[in-house]
Amino acid sequence: MNVLEIEHLTQSYVDAYTGDRTLAIGDVSFTVPQGQFVSLLGPSGCGKTTVLNIVAGFVESTGGRVLVEGAPVAGPGPDRGVVFQDFALFPWLTVRQNIVFGLRMQGAGKEERERRAEEMLALVGLDGFGSKYPHELSGGMRQRTGVARVLATNPTMMLMDEPFASIDAQTRRVLQQEVLQIWDSQRPTVLFVTHDVDEAIFMADRVIVLSARPSTVQADIAVPFERPRTWREIQADPRFAELRTELMTMLGVEDL
Amino acid sequence: MTMTATDVARVAGESPLRGGARSRAVDAAWFASPFVLMALLWVVIVPAAGVSSRVFPSLPAVAQTFGAMLLDGSLWTHVSASLLRVLIGAAIAIAIGIPFGILMGVSKAVSAFFAPLLRFSVALAGIAWIPLATLWFGYGDLAVIFVVFNAVFFAIVYNTMLGVRQVPTNVLRAARSLGAKPWTMFWQVHLPGAAPSIATGLRVGMGFAWRGLIAAEIIATSAGMGYSLFLARQYYETDVIILMMILIGILWLVMDRLILAPVEWRTVKRWGASREVGI
Amino acid sequence: MSAVAQLEERASVRPVRPRDAIVRYSGIRTWGPFLVVLVLWALISAAGIFPSAFFSSPAEVWERALSLVERGILPAYVGDSLIRLAVGAAWGLVIGILLGFVIGLSARARKFCWPALLFFQAIGDIAWLPILIVWFGFSLTSVTIVIVYTVCFPLIISIVAAIDAIPANMLRAAGSLGASRLQRIVLVVVPAALPGLSSGIRTGLGYGWRALIAAEIIIGTSGVGFMMFDARRQGDVTQVFVGMIVLGALWYATDALLLAPFEKATVERWGMVEGIGR
Ligand SMILES: Nc1ncnc2c1ncn2[C@@H]1O[C@H](COP(=O)(O)OP(=O)(O)O)[C@@H](O)[C@H]1O
Ligand SMILES: [Mg+2]
Repeated sequence: MNVLEIEHLTQSYVDAYTGDRTLAIGDVSFTVPQGQFVSLLGPSGCGKTTVLNIVAGFVESTGGRVLVEGAPVAGPGPDRGVVFQDFALFPWLTVRQNIVFGLRMQGAGKEERERRAEEMLALVGLDGFGSKYPHELSGGMRQRTGVARVLATNPTMMLMDEPFASIDAQTRRVLQQEVLQIWDSQRPTVLFVTHDVDEAIFMADRVIVLSARPSTVQADIAVPFERPRTWREIQADPRFAELRTELMTMLGVEDL
Repeated sequence: MTMTATDVARVAGESPLRGGARSRAVDAAWFASPFVLMALLWVVIVPAAGVSSRVFPSLPAVAQTFGAMLLDGSLWTHVSASLLRVLIGAAIAIAIGIPFGILMGVSKAVSAFFAPLLRFSVALAGIAWIPLATLWFGYGDLAVIFVVFNAVFFAIVYNTMLGVRQVPTNVLRAARSLGAKPWTMFWQVHLPGAAPSIATGLRVGMGFAWRGLIAAEIIATSAGMGYSLFLARQYYETDVIILMMILIGILWLVMDRLILAPVEWRTVKRWGASREVGI
Repeated sequence: MSAVAQLEERASVRPVRPRDAIVRYSGIRTWGPFLVVLVLWALISAAGIFPSAFFSSPAEVWERALSLVERGILPAYVGDSLIRLAVGAAWGLVIGILLGFVIGLSARARKFCWPALLFFQAIGDIAWLPILIVWFGFSLTSVTIVIVYTVCFPLIISIVAAIDAIPANMLRAAGSLGASRLQRIVLVVVPAALPGLSSGIRTGLGYGWRALIAAEIIIGTSGVGFMMFDARRQGDVTQVFVGMIVLGALWYATDALLLAPFEKATVERWGMVEGIGR
């Protein structure tokens, strides 16, 4: 069953000052089956964030249809959890309170929230940090809180918008592996936006490449690697280099 | 619970599809509406309720007084007296305050000493100095200018210092390693880097100064808008009072827009520096 | 705990140098400069650089302060001023916070009110004093209204600014986790606006304090402002000095006892502002 169906999506923006209309998304269609991890790859400014925001229900599309589990998207909802590049944690809540925010919105009891918080803290490797405030954590720890906050409610979909872009290179590699492990425990359907080719391949079952603005789907490529994956194995695999070259060429990066 | 997309857009402050000339006209109408409403209420209610002119003037009476004071030159006397005092006081404060603030921002030792004193002084600046100013300088222009000066001065120094401290260390290092001398550092690095914060300080200071000016003129002078405001009170000339209040408001808005806001706009917009909104 | 978490934890702990600690916590940093100023002040007045009619010595000021306290004048006046400020500020806070959130949250209320709001805040508190005196006489009502007026506007403006500055993604996060509009307001907008609220209160009280002094000078029956101006009329510079120092000390106390602890427990604890204080 397809959890996400996007049909002929278009989006234009009106410049607030000049009144000019620009077409950001030309015509994008794709579907994502249950439990698949999909990377959405494309050059900067091609409309990846816009697609994600439309799926999340933050922005209304100007054309086309977006269905989640068969129903058109009407505003954000707890069935689609979002992990943001800038974390968007609530600074006045502790890590634990941030994680159970969604449960609180669903009216879960205190006991259930506490139990779930401990579970999630353990799952993302943050036990002992539950009582800290977000500003007391490193970037990597903040993003793990962001992931835990989303997964705490068992959403159907997890939407991630360049979640590792503001994290240093070493930590990023570790986090990519960790997030895959965490994802494996629940297997929600994931739409993962990135402009990093390596990351797109490493994380996903499938990479959808968007062209430059006004964007269309330029390619839809299956990633053949088994899970669980580690960077060491993937990097050593000759198919990785091939895939990488193919995608790089598609994005017009000619250093290879 | 879910919500509609327009609901989301409203809360998040996103306007998906709007703009253009039509919305500009709508904006202008929104801008004018509260003022038109107030003027209407004024015109209708004051005569209808039979309010005495000793309590609240009618709109035509205020307009008439405006014309009369404009013609006999008394309006210009008061407004120019006030503006001149503000101008002189603020100019001196800016000229001394900015270099001093930059010195404090650059030198840890200087700022460690002066910062607590300054926090104390900013809290006191302006009106609280009126008794002392009138003692030192007598009743008259000098006392008022002093009040304006110290209201602006402390706010400028303090905010300039904060602004200089906010210039990123790496920018300073880059400039130095490119061979910038202290003089160049002042003009090319510290001053522009601190500009947004200086603008904030200027607005805060001018806010204190404008109020200080009115208070000081009420107390210590025989010309100026504050003086004429208070004199009119003695004779229950509410038309003059209301006229002066409106003028004080308009002049402040003009001053804020024409002088201060562009400074802020230029520095902040052009360099994309962050800004503390507000007064 | 994962190995990375441990590593990151270690990296985020900053070493505290003992010298820093002494300077930071012993109060030398704060009070030292005042001591120096006191000494300078004593030296200047002893040297007789300014005529004594214009400049009193610290000793004179101290003696006068003591005698004013003994005669009960100073405590009574300080009490009067504080009560006026408290009454005005309380009303100002209630009205300002309510209007701030309404205008900050409703685009329509904002469009309608904003220009008028800027205009009325531009008129400034003191300019209202004469017409208030015409309406309410030289009374507590006039003073209170001026202070309410003064406290309100900075509060409204900084709450609105704080609401505007809430990162869009924070509201989106709350919405996508299932928060209703009311929940977003109560659980996100209100705490996120707290830094603006506290800086608005600071600014508002700063203006309110000045307005009170002006009102007391002009309306003049009691209070610290009245005491200072009464002294000025008699050419009593010592008592003016006493008044100014009392004003400064009261402001410091308000800040240290009310505002700073509130900020420490909330916005500073949450890392939403750095330890500031103006
Ligand atoms: N709110 C908006 N108003 C106007 N233009 C926008 C808005 N959001 C995005 N755009 C434009 O749409 C295009 C796609 O943006 P975005 O989805 O953020 O790209 P990406 O995430 O792929 O970098 C960009 O050219 C951007 O300038
Ligand atoms: Mg993006």
